[in-house]
Amino acid sequence: MERYSLICEMSVVHVMSLSTAAAEPWPEKATLYQPLKEDQILLSDSASSLAVQTFLRMCGLPVQVSCCANAEYMSPSGKVPFIHVGNQVVSELGPIVQFIKAKGHSLSDGLDDVQRAEMKAYMELVNNMLLTAELYIQWCDDYTATEISRPRYSSPYSWPLNHILAYQKQWEVQRKMNAIGWSGKSLEQVYEDVSQCCQALSQRLGTQPYFFNKQPTELDALVFGHLFTILTTQLTNDELAEKVKSYTNLLSFCHRIEHTYFKEHDRESQSGSPLKRQ
Amino acid sequence: MYFNKNLLWVKVLSWRCALGCCCMHTNMAEPMELLCWGGDWDLPSVHSDSLIVLAYAKFSGAKLAVKSIDWTWRTITASVPQLHYEGSTVTEPAQILNFLRKQAEMKLYIQLYLLSATKSKMTPTCQKKIKTRITELEKGSPPCRFNADYELTAKQGADTMAYIALLEEKLRPALLHTFWVDAENYVNLTRPWFTSHSPFPLNFFVPGRQASLALSRILLTKAESPLLNITEVEGKIYSEAKECLNLLSHRLGNFHFFFGDTPTSLDAFVFGHIAPLIKAPLPSGQLQKHLNQLDNLCQFCNTILKNYFTDASAEKRMDCSLTAPHDPVDANLQKLTQLVNKESNLIEKMDDNLRSSPQHRHETKPSARASERNSPLLSKH
Repeated sequence: MERYSLICEMSVVHVMSLSTAAAEPWPEKATLYQPLKEDQILLSDSASSLAVQTFLRMCGLPVQVSCCANAEYMSPSGKVPFIHVGNQVVSELGPIVQFIKAKGHSLSDGLDDVQRAEMKAYMELVNNMLLTAELYIQWCDDYTATEISRPRYSSPYSWPLNHILAYQKQWEVQRKMNAIGWSGKSLEQVYEDVSQCCQALSQRLGTQPYFFNKQPTELDALVFGHLFTILTTQLTNDELAEKVKSYTNLLSFCHRIEHTYFKEHDRESQSGSPLKRQ
Repeated sequence: MYFNKNLLWVKVLSWRCALGCCCMHTNMAEPMELLCWGGDWDLPSVHSDSLIVLAYAKFSGAKLAVKSIDWTWRTITASVPQLHYEGSTVTEPAQILNFLRKQAEMKLYIQLYLLSATKSKMTPTCQKKIKTRITELEKGSPPCRFNADYELTAKQGADTMAYIALLEEKLRPALLHTFWVDAENYVNLTRPWFTSHSPFPLNFFVPGRQASLALSRILLTKAESPLLNITEVEGKIYSEAKECLNLLSHRLGNFHFFFGDTPTSLDAFVFGHIAPLIKAPLPSGQLQKHLNQLDNLCQFCNTILKNYFTDASAEKRMDCSLTAPHDPVDANLQKLTQLVNKESNLIEKMDDNLRSSPQHRHETKPSARASERNSPLLSKH
């Protein structure tokens, strides 16, 4: 046990030394940047962005959402979304959670070590399966790439930059899929993987309100971000959404979080939410 | 009439199964063949994925004919590990584990059906359900999943998937870096080993190809933009890997295995990933040093090696199987009852039949031939 605590202490010191500048309180003008909502943003980016927004709402930290065409290039890691807080810029959910923890807000403090290990493992499951499946469907499925992904991704740019950027992005994603062994998979297998992932999440959630009983954690934010986006995004076919819809406890989970944390969003867009039709 | 017709079907099926199915006979049937890298450093194989499959095969009692690809042309052509069985090939550890699990499940269902055939108390609906499941498994549908592992509860199955994702995302990049990208380790350990285990002229190509694949995988998955190079990514992947090892250590705690006292697929995956890291004599291994501080993981690895991979333990198990043939059989029958409980709710009726089965099996009955032929199925331990 002593060795474990020593190792944990070492990692805490590491985090603290990095974020001494983050000891300032949360400013009012914190901004979250993402690509253009109506025309440009794709499923995977929208899911990540919604996950971060949900997490910030769960922590009770106000943030303005700003849509920019070049959000991806502004981001320090090349991934969206990223938040601009004071004079710090942090991108992606993992680093943002750590950054906010350094500021004194954390959703997972009440968890013990084993639960924290589980939470991290499930977050990796979502990233490994759901996010990768989303990327695959967007960029490696020819029909979706031609009809949706490439036109949307390159919509803010003029010819010939739009073609160059779109194909470059598609090529990058395909290379990544190749490296992790997903390029040999068929679309059916990818849908099956999504279904497996949802089944695992559903089994873990059971009948509880959140994954770790009464309190929401970053895992709930991440799962909500992905599932809600899958359910509400129109793709070339509905198969992905159908896979998620077959798990009723996940649907009610999304519903619950939407109602609890996005009430204003609900009031503004009454007609839009497909969850209401369930 | 229904009873006799089904009995005939099952006799044929069990005969075919006894001929073709791997685990029972060492002399008759064509066993399953596994291609993998050879072993060194006290390990049965130096390759992580191969270790995963070997470990799971030991845990589940499947008999595999292990064929190492060292010094053959397969070092560059085959994607290891590879399982060959009855003309079909399965690659990737997850797929192979699914396949082995399916074979084991089918065997148990057949045993159950044969036992049920000898006891006329079983209802036809129950028999029909078992028959449907056997046919499904034979056809290969529905696909087996980790969370259908019959030894685990649904939540444990979900946990298995999550932890395997954690291993793949956080630990594997650092392992690849330690063995294939870190200059000191690569030049002093990995490249000499793989060069000496590949035939001429492949020994010039095999290590280099593996190293470039490893590097590209790390860069594509972990380096966030084309501007970052490997040195900037190193710090990040090693800190993530150390965190992952800490998390695994927390999860394992003081237990022997991750889910109680019997090893499961998650144990196979963790073993496959950390065993090379513990045992390889790495010149520069910061991750190895970190892992050596986590006593319970080292203990976990050594326990598995001692209990499942040494010849002494194999002999011990064979002796036990001669003296107490019923104990492993009863354990199987317990698993069978759990299986049936999941599929149908006739556990109360099944219980009596199954508990009294060891004594009844040896009685001479019209179905005695079936049970005799069936006995190799049961005496796999």
